[in-house]
Amino acid sequence: MIAIETNSLSKVYTSSFGKNKVRALNELNLTINKGTIFGLLGPNGAGKTTLVKLLLQIIFPTFGTAKLMGEDIGNYELKKRIGYLPEDHKYPPYLTGGEVLKFFGRLSGLNGTTLDKRIDELLELVNLSKWKKTKVKSYSKGMTQRLGLAQSLINDPELIFLDEPTDGVDPIGRKEIRDILLELKGRSKTIFLNSHLLSEVELITDRVGILNKGKLLREGTVKELTERKEEYKLILNDELPELNKFADDNLIITKNHDGSYSVKVDDIRTMNILVDKLRGENILIKEIVLQKNTLEEMFISLINREEKGGKE
Amino acid sequence: MNNIFQIIQFTIREALARKVFIFFGAIILFVLVGTLLVFGLVDINTLTSAANQSGQNIMTREIVSSLELLIVTPLANLGLLLAIFSSASFIPIMLEKGNIDLLLSKPISRAQLLLGKYFGVVLFVFLNIFFFVFGVWLIISIKFSYWDASFLTLAFVITFAFAVLYALIMLFGVITKNSILGMMIAYLIFLIISPLLLLYKEKLNEFVTSELIDTILVGFYFIVPQTAELMGRIMIDLAMGKGIINFQPIITSLLFLIFILGFSVSLFRRKDF
Ligand SMILES: Nc1ncnc2c1ncn2[C@@H]1O[C@H](COP(=O)(O)OP(=O)(O)O)[C@@H](O)[C@H]1O
Ligand SMILES: [Mg+2]
Repeated sequence: MIAIETNSLSKVYTSSFGKNKVRALNELNLTINKGTIFGLLGPNGAGKTTLVKLLLQIIFPTFGTAKLMGEDIGNYELKKRIGYLPEDHKYPPYLTGGEVLKFFGRLSGLNGTTLDKRIDELLELVNLSKWKKTKVKSYSKGMTQRLGLAQSLINDPELIFLDEPTDGVDPIGRKEIRDILLELKGRSKTIFLNSHLLSEVELITDRVGILNKGKLLREGTVKELTERKEEYKLILNDELPELNKFADDNLIITKNHDGSYSVKVDDIRTMNILVDKLRGENILIKEIVLQKNTLEEMFISLINREEKGGKE
Repeated sequence: MNNIFQIIQFTIREALARKVFIFFGAIILFVLVGTLLVFGLVDINTLTSAANQSGQNIMTREIVSSLELLIVTPLANLGLLLAIFSSASFIPIMLEKGNIDLLLSKPISRAQLLLGKYFGVVLFVFLNIFFFVFGVWLIISIKFSYWDASFLTLAFVITFAFAVLYALIMLFGVITKNSILGMMIAYLIFLIISPLLLLYKEKLNEFVTSELIDTILVGFYFIVPQTAELMGRIMIDLAMGKGIINFQPIITSLLFLIFILGFSVSLFRRKDF
C-alpha cells in the first residue's frame, strides 16, 4: 500500500510584485509505502517544509499532483487520518497543555471520555502528565515540542508528518522522541520526517530522500545510499607509473589533486594484496588512511557536487 | 457544523482571555452601576410631572424610551469603535505562522475555519452588547414599572452594524494578514463615508446640479453599508416602538455583508500560508 505519492509536484513562490521567483520544489516524484519511516534530508531552504505543506494543502502546488493513502489531497476529511507537527507551532498561551489537546482533539472529531482518555495517554507518552494543568505560556521549547508531538498524534493518525521534530530538544528528549517514533512504526504507522540533521534520520529511518534546492537528488534505504566500497587514502613516495596495472574487478584506484591516491576495495584483504604488489615494485608507502563513510559524508559530497554543477 | 461550533467556542475562549474584553466588560458594568445610582436618586413622579408641565402630554413610554436612548446611543457608538479595535486582531493572529499551519492540518475546511472565527467574534460582541442593552433596559423598566421589550432589539441592530464592519476587517485581514488596513476602512465607513452619504441623500442633494455626480453619490449610498442609519434612525425608531420603517439600509448592509463574507472565503480558500 502506498501512503504518499507525488507526481511532478512543483511549487514556485512569487513575491508580491512578481519580481522574485523561488523554485522551492521542482517536479518531485516520490512514492512512500505504508508502514515506513521516511526521512527527508536537506540543508535549510531545500524545500522540505514546502513539500509537507503542499501535501497538507496549507499551500497549493504551482503544478503537479499528489495523493495521500490513495486519495486526492483536496479532500479535507482526509486529514482525520493524518497528524502534523509543523516546524513552527504556537499554542494559545492562555490554554493549558490539556486544553490544547482537547481543542485539537475536538477539531479532529473526538469528544467525551474517549478524548479525555486519549489526552492522558498522550501526555504520559510525551512525559508531560505533570504539566497537564499548566498554561502553555510557561512551557519550555522542548516541552512545547513534546506537546506538539502529542497534538500530532491526538487522532491516532495513520500517516504522520514531522517537520524538524527534534529542534530545540535536548539529547535525552531526542532519544525519547526517537523511541516514540519507533513505537509508532511498530504499530504500522507511516512517518514522514523532515530534518537537516543527518544523525537524527540515520538512526531510525527505513528510507531516506535527499533534497536540495527543490530537487530530489537521491532516494533509497540508508544502507543503499551509504553502501560503497571501503575507501582508503594512500600516500606514496613516488608517483605510480600506471594506475591500471594495479586495478582489477575488486579494486578501483584513482589519483587525487594533492598527489595522493584513493583506493576503493571490497575488503581489507584486497587492500593488502595491493600493498604487496606495490612493495614488490619497490614503491615506498608513506601513509594508509581508512576514509570514513557515513551518510553525512555522502550527503555533503552530494550537495557540494550539486553546488559546483550549479555554478558551472 | 461541529467544526464551526468548535471554532466559535474556541474564539469566545480566546476573547475571554484577552484583557481588552475585561476592560470592555468593566466599562459596561460601570455604566450600569452609574445608571442604577442616578435612577435610584431621581423620583419618577417629579420627572413625569416636570415633563408634563412643559406643555405636552408625554407618555411614560416616550420618557422611558428617550432615557434609554440617551444612555445607549452614545455608548453604543463608542462601544462599536471599541469592539472593532479590540477584535480586529483575531483574524491576523489566527493567520500567523504556527497557528494557521496547525489549524489547516486538521479535518476542517477553510470556509468553516474562517466563518467559525467570524461568527465567534460576532457572537462574543453580541453577548457584550446584549448584556449592556439588557442592563440599561432592566434598570429603567424597574424604575418606571413600565415593561416594553422592543428596546432589546437594539442589541441586534448594534451587533448587525458591527458584523458588517467586521466582515471588512476580516477581508483585509485575509488579504494583508494584518488588522490595520481593515480597521482603518471600517472606521472610515462608520465615521465618515456612511454619515456623509446619508447627509447627502437627505439634505445636500439639492445643491448638486450635475446629474452624473448625483447618480454616483446616490449609487454609493446604495452600495456602502449604511451603518450611520443603523446606529441612528433605525435604532431610535425601534426604541420608540415604531418598528423598522425603512428596510432599505438593512438590506443594503446585509447584501454588502454577504458579498464581503463570500469574497473573503473565496480568497482564503486559495491562499498559501
Ligand atoms: N512563503 C514563501 N514565500 C517565498 N519564498 C518562500 C516561502 N516559503 C519558503 N520560501 C523559499 O522556498 C525555499 C524552500 O523553503 P523551505 O521549504 O522552508 O525549506 P526547508 O524546510 O527545507 O528549510 C527557500 O528558498 C525559502 O526561502
Ligand atoms: Mg523547513
